[in-house]
Amino acid sequence: MATIGHNNLNAKLVLLGDMGAGKSSLVLRFVKGQFLEFQESTIGAAFFSQTLAVNDATVKFEIWDTAGQERYHSLAPMYYRGAAAAIIVYDITSSDSFSRAKKWVQELQKQVFERNMNLSNTRIGGGWGVEFKEARVYAEENGLFFMETSAKSAANVNDVFYEIAKRLPRAQPAQNPTGMVLVDRPAEGSRAASCCS
Amino acid sequence: MYGTKSKIDLAFEYQSQIPVLRPSIHSRRANLTVKFQDLYGFTVEGNVDDVNVLNDVREKVRQQGRVWWALEASKGANWYLHTTIGQGSALTSSLKFSALANAITLKKLIKKGIPPVLRPKVWFSLSGAAKKKSTVPDSYYDDLTKAVEGKVTPATRQIDHDLPRTFPGHPWLDTPEGHAALRRVLVAYSFRDSDVGYCQGLNYVAALLLLVMKTEEDAFWMLAVLLENVLVSDCYTNNLSGCHVEQRVFKDLLAKKCPRIATHLEALEFDVSLVTTEWFLCLFSKSLPSETTLRVWDVIFFEGAKVIFNVALAIFKMKEDQLLLTHHVGEVINVLQMTTHHLFDPDDLLTVAFDQIGSMTTNTISKQRKKQEPEVMKELDQRIRKLNSLKADNK
Ligand SMILES: Nc1nc2c(ncn2[C@@H]2O[C@H](COP(=O)(O)OP(=O)(O)O)[C@@H](O)[C@H]2O)c(=O)[nH]1
Ligand SMILES: [Mg+2]
Repeated sequence: MATIGHNNLNAKLVLLGDMGAGKSSLVLRFVKGQFLEFQESTIGAAFFSQTLAVNDATVKFEIWDTAGQERYHSLAPMYYRGAAAAIIVYDITSSDSFSRAKKWVQELQKQVFERNMNLSNTRIGGGWGVEFKEARVYAEENGLFFMETSAKSAANVNDVFYEIAKRLPRAQPAQNPTGMVLVDRPAEGSRAASCCS
Repeated sequence: MYGTKSKIDLAFEYQSQIPVLRPSIHSRRANLTVKFQDLYGFTVEGNVDDVNVLNDVREKVRQQGRVWWALEASKGANWYLHTTIGQGSALTSSLKFSALANAITLKKLIKKGIPPVLRPKVWFSLSGAAKKKSTVPDSYYDDLTKAVEGKVTPATRQIDHDLPRTFPGHPWLDTPEGHAALRRVLVAYSFRDSDVGYCQGLNYVAALLLLVMKTEEDAFWMLAVLLENVLVSDCYTNNLSGCHVEQRVFKDLLAKKCPRIATHLEALEFDVSLVTTEWFLCLFSKSLPSETTLRVWDVIFFEGAKVIFNVALAIFKMKEDQLLLTHHVGEVINVLQMTTHHLFDPDDLLTVAFDQIGSMTTNTISKQRKKQEPEVMKELDQRIRKLNSLKADNK
């Protein structure tokens, strides 16, 4: 839940996606500025927090980085319950991981549809198994904010979190979000605005 | 398979004199963070006090070794291998008495820790792994690994994905030799029980078993006995239903044994499963320092899965005061993580786990599980139906 105190916002954020899609790497890059070729596989979920300054406020993200294996799916509600935003990650070199991402989108739309959802892919410059355009169209159709990131090169990593922070509902109207990079379906946006009353 | 004198022995010869770091007053004041290797070769980061604690633990392990040798001298070699609680109906009463006395001695002894050199032998026997192995031909493991060599399944793909992500940086596990051994154990098991196949989390458990048991085959049998006899069933299958059951049992126990903590966390809307799920699935191997984890496993293999509850409750109990001061989910997690990562002295934890939490019998836990099972099944079932209806909607 995004909660407000002065200009400080606490926002619960959950990362979902296939096993090995790059969720933990994305978080590690954002939180510690590091990339490890191999970092421990996540069991259950791991918690991180990181603060970002956005225009008028500081946003403290409370991040749940979840385990991706299919059977861990049954644990997911515990982690996405009450989240202000979700990042759904897929690996650009794996079409399986893209199908998995779509399933997550479906589930979240039905269960926590008012939330701020984001689709993120990893590994810029890998083999192109999943066409950028396909993903972009899919994101547009589903009212998701879409961004291509690389935890390895750090490209767009901070930006994803920054864009999410900007979209979080506030008590006072947010700064006019010009300069927004990607699309947000208006209907979703307005629903998101009312999610934390 | 790796030879008996591989790197693993050299790296983890626990008695070898690892240079003792005696920090100067200055570094103590500066509260430096240092990196060092623990008894099982894991790199730990800690402050100077942690190094001191770990050195003390090494010394205690040596002393405990002496206690075991002395008992062996007085009771005969391998006396503990034939001691199980409640065994021996065919024995004469005097023999029964000595068996009982041995069982009591052993129970206490195990809570104080099994010396790392004796762990393979003691675990193998007391856990029931030896018995399990004896029911199949000697060549079972070799035959199994040969038969599955080169086969590709969803499980093997996931195992391959996790090999380099299992304790990366460990001086033996993270080598081609270590990866190959871990792979064979996990792949063999995935074929032995196709309901389990491969579940993330087992990689860490099997890796530690390899480090302790030193041979792949013994590690394999320990994994088998753990999943098939020691832990609640279905902990790692399909939708982790067994693990869901354990979580509910745990929440009830927390409310009973640590009511103030439970009430406080509930007020913060903190679901303890957020952190305890990993403890149950990895048996603490990702959270506690290695020797502390293995001390917990010493007792699990002798007394059963109920021990996991004692230990998990103890972690909360130890930090009651601090936990009651938290205002936020993040703070709670920080307290728990700081606690588990710095529990270098196993006795600190085990004393609370067994003396303060109070004993729970396997029977009580089983009853609790039975009570929770229908709820869990219902909930999981509802979820699946909901997800399926989603799919239908989207067609
Ligand atoms: N090239 C590239 N590799 C990545 C990237 N993100 C993750 N990886 C690799 O993908 C593997 C799985 O990443 P991880 O973050 O553990 O995935 P998770 O299971 O979703 O948490 C690791 O071996 C990473 O090195 C990326 O942005 N670029
Ligand atoms: Mg991960």
